[in-house]
Amino acid sequence: MRAVLTLCALLVLVADGANAEPLTDADEIVARANLASYYAGADGRSEVRMIISDAQGRQQRRQFTVLRRNVEAGGDQQFLVVFSQPSDVRNTTFLVHKHVDGDDDRWLYLPGLDLVKRISAGDKRTSFVGAHYFYEDVSGRRPADDSHELLETTDEHYVLRHIPLDRQTVEFSSYVTWIDRETLLPMKIEYTNPAGKLYRRVEVLEVADFDGHPTVTISRVSDLLGGGQTDMQFRYIKYDTGLPEQVFTERSLRNPPRDWLQRPRSGT
Amino acid sequence: MKQAVIRLATGRPRLVYSAILAATLVTAALMLRIDIDTDPENMLSADQPDRVFHNHVEEQFTLHDALVVGVVNSSHPEGIYNMRSLAAIHSLSSAILQLDGVIGPDLMSLAVSDNITQEGPGTIRFEWLMRDAPANESQALEIQAAVERLPLLLDTLVSGDGKAAAIYVPIASKDLSYPLSLEIRALADALDAEDDFHITGLPVAEDTFGHDMFVQMGISAPLAGLMIFILMLYFFRSVPLVVAPMLVAMATVIISMGLLIGLGFTVHIMSSMIPIFLMPIAVVDSVHIMSEFADRYRPKDDAKAVLAEVVEHLFTPMLFTSLTSAVGFLSLLLTPIPPVQIFGVFVALGILLAFGLTIVLIPAYVVRMRPASLQKLAARTDTPRPETPLARALRQVGSFAIHRGKLVASLAVLVVAVSVAGIYQIQINDNPMRWFKANHPIRVADAVLNEHFAGTYDAFVVLTHQDSTALPEFRQASTAMLDDIAEPHRTTVAQFIDADATEIGSYYGNLIAAVDDAMFDAADTATQDALASLLELAEASQLAAKYFQRPEVLREIENLQQVLVESGEVGKTNALPDVVKVVNRELRGGADSEYRIPNTELAVAQTLLQYQSSHRPQDLWHMVTPDYTATAIWLQLRSGDNQDMTRVIEALDRHLAAQPLPAGLQLQWAGKTYINVVWQDAMVNGMLMSLLGAFAAVFLMMTALFRSLRLGLLAMVPLSITILGVYGIIGWIGKDYDMPIAVLSSLTLGLSVDFAIHFIERTRALLRGTGSFESALTQVFEEPARAIARNAIVIAIGFTPLFFAPLIPYITVGAFMAAIMALSGVTTLILLPALMALAGPWLFPDLRKRGVFDAPPAAAPATGLKEIST
Repeated sequence: MRAVLTLCALLVLVADGANAEPLTDADEIVARANLASYYAGADGRSEVRMIISDAQGRQQRRQFTVLRRNVEAGGDQQFLVVFSQPSDVRNTTFLVHKHVDGDDDRWLYLPGLDLVKRISAGDKRTSFVGAHYFYEDVSGRRPADDSHELLETTDEHYVLRHIPLDRQTVEFSSYVTWIDRETLLPMKIEYTNPAGKLYRRVEVLEVADFDGHPTVTISRVSDLLGGGQTDMQFRYIKYDTGLPEQVFTERSLRNPPRDWLQRPRSGT
Repeated sequence: MKQAVIRLATGRPRLVYSAILAATLVTAALMLRIDIDTDPENMLSADQPDRVFHNHVEEQFTLHDALVVGVVNSSHPEGIYNMRSLAAIHSLSSAILQLDGVIGPDLMSLAVSDNITQEGPGTIRFEWLMRDAPANESQALEIQAAVERLPLLLDTLVSGDGKAAAIYVPIASKDLSYPLSLEIRALADALDAEDDFHITGLPVAEDTFGHDMFVQMGISAPLAGLMIFILMLYFFRSVPLVVAPMLVAMATVIISMGLLIGLGFTVHIMSSMIPIFLMPIAVVDSVHIMSEFADRYRPKDDAKAVLAEVVEHLFTPMLFTSLTSAVGFLSLLLTPIPPVQIFGVFVALGILLAFGLTIVLIPAYVVRMRPASLQKLAARTDTPRPETPLARALRQVGSFAIHRGKLVASLAVLVVAVSVAGIYQIQINDNPMRWFKANHPIRVADAVLNEHFAGTYDAFVVLTHQDSTALPEFRQASTAMLDDIAEPHRTTVAQFIDADATEIGSYYGNLIAAVDDAMFDAADTATQDALASLLELAEASQLAAKYFQRPEVLREIENLQQVLVESGEVGKTNALPDVVKVVNRELRGGADSEYRIPNTELAVAQTLLQYQSSHRPQDLWHMVTPDYTATAIWLQLRSGDNQDMTRVIEALDRHLAAQPLPAGLQLQWAGKTYINVVWQDAMVNGMLMSLLGAFAAVFLMMTALFRSLRLGLLAMVPLSITILGVYGIIGWIGKDYDMPIAVLSSLTLGLSVDFAIHFIERTRALLRGTGSFESALTQVFEEPARAIARNAIVIAIGFTPLFFAPLIPYITVGAFMAAIMALSGVTTLILLPALMALAGPWLFPDLRKRGVFDAPPAAAPATGLKEIST
């Protein structure tokens, strides 16, 4: 398993440079897209600003810093999410140990209640702090959870359809992704509900290169039925900062690792 | 003018026929554009403040009209908490979600509810309450245990006794309620379930009413027409004589309704009754002409000449009765309720149209009659009429009235006194649900669900916080800080300080983001420091603006919720504090003692952040706006009666008088049940204005018609007593004063004055002719009294088909129409002669001089009194 993943990571590097022969294996495309989207570098940090708009255009904002560390490429990962805005949720912190096999471990710290809780989630398709993004959109859906089919290879994209293996755990019946052939980043994902209606779209609005990694800097998820949307802006991105494992322990919940959360002076 | 019309009608009957036929066909064609409107909201004009606010609230909190589907299991010991019932709820919910017009994300059902539970020490679990139907009975009981810990679900989605569950189905448009209710009914019937399924909710009641009303319009009006036809045939025993008035009635109804629809007005419950109101009124005038023509026409007479004579003779009283009836209905314009106004105008229009049609169509009809028919008509009137029971009874009534004037007058005073006492007991109340009979599936559903649940009727108390000084103060303070900020940041930040702040949440959010960005880019420390201070100020102001996040404010809401529930009419309230308390309890370990509002606004904010991390984050915005400046308390009421809603409002008002809200906090009502109260208040006050206005106008017209103030007053007596009597009855029998009852007042006025006009006019003519009170009154109680009695009977019985209508307002109108006719007929025929006997010389000063009243009425024949009293 590990060997395969390493090979995949290697292939990503190869594909990065030149416009190679188009890939034809759906599973391989998905595996590489997963790496490109969620595993860039050995670790990374980014500041996220979310603008959540409802159908009437009323906005809420959230701002938080994400620290990420890959336990292994394409495998387990650790995340620390610390909120800075709005000020009434400042220092609310999530710690996630993402497991490829088995349920994730999640912790929550609420400074206003001075409370650390473990969270056991029934599924990963709950809203992430009120946004139109799901928890799963933020941490990444396991490629093994769906069956993948390559529908089409256009000049720019691989177009794939994904069907969930366990329909009971998700609210969609299928989704289609448009994966950039060059960066292997999914540029658009459209979800269809069991009634056969297109109801949700995730799209990438801007990509920039950081430390050699093509990185999404603006993305948007739209509720096509209800009419709201959430924009996510990623800034102050850095890879391979050398984040140590102890940053991702329960200790960091009450005592956020200030040094690592500090905004890098040379970022954008 | 009159003669020109007659000449035209009798000279060019074909032209008259084809013109009326053309008008009828064109307007009938316009009816195809019919647009039914059953939304009680439209009882208020579009710019009425309560309606505007209600709509604003619906948008502000994304509230939708909802059908309520009830699932009841009274046989299983655990109620609906059993595998099969829950499976039924689960599959029904999924099927409903697939229906077009259903707003899926806002559907409320056990199948799409979130749950928050304890999973071992220090761990909480977020998951769907019932993602799949339970696989065994113990899973079903687990769901019960969970629901009982979720106050927002208990008594809303499952009844407290566990016997019933509800699915709230929000819909995109009110007029989808009826078709969707049918689809849901079909889905429920197809389920393999032992539960009873009920569908209710105000939208479905209203839309179903619209559907039934449409059917009713097609049945009741023709049935009333048929009934009137049969009755007239009984009285006049001549088909041609009766066909003519029916033609007038049909043309009147079709043209009036066609015009109403053609002019783009919607057919509301009020306007749907126009045909039924116009039918009998339209018949009356033509009956007068035909009747008198039949009396006068002798074989070999020139029909045209006789007609001209008849019309000449009847024109003025007919014009006046039509005008007074029209005025009665036009007075509805004084009621500030658009459907009532439209109803009044078009009935008035119809009455005048009926008058016009009578004047041209009847003469045209008569000259087109075959000579044989005319001969038969003449022959019929030639043969002396057999003594009918009606004729005999009327004579005795007349005799009794003029000889026992004082007794009659005293009885009238007694009736007035009893009626006034009854009027004081009138209960003003309405509820669209009560427009259905008690055994209608919707009424049954309503009764069953409101017995189990906290209530299926919605109302909202909306609290809005406005702080007019906070923003200007912030802008002033923050602008002052700009001095220390270097360009380009200064200009950028200044733009955000001056930006539009309608959405205060977005305003501070945008500004803070801009300051945050500037802080990162700023080169010098002075700018950095100034920006940091500005950020601090903006964050403090942002937090202060989130008024409904403050613990003390949430406790104030809790307090209001308690007052509302204690009013006794509210089954349950749902509001922001309930959410905060549940999440707080589960975050703090799940003990009941933690079911409380946390002490700081930061804790509240973080609690709500957790609530938003659910499958249904949008649910929060049904209770509070995203900027936390307005919040809505959802009230579930078991009854949609206006009286009950009013009691809740009054209970809250009393509380607020004793404990006023904090400064800057504004409280307003919204919701369908509340809106019904608003329009009903407008209706009651408006109807009083209408009645007074019509009363004054009719009085002036009577005075002008009789050229006598005293006779004008006399003419007002029967209708006054009728109105008092009818409303007295309503008070005594405890029938709620609702929309149809309110409208009847103007109808009473318009119709009962007709009888008085005819009676007084004929009596005066006979007094002048005979010169003797005794003989004039005796003659009045022959043909004139019979005409009045027949008209009263025809109209009263003509409305009886309405008794068989499935919709209560139609039955009410039918019943009270009969009562009005009976009362005004009786008062006209008994009280007027009695008053004339008592006050004749005062009423007719000109006749007194001629000695008309010199001979006192002879003593009453003993038999007459006896027969009447038995």
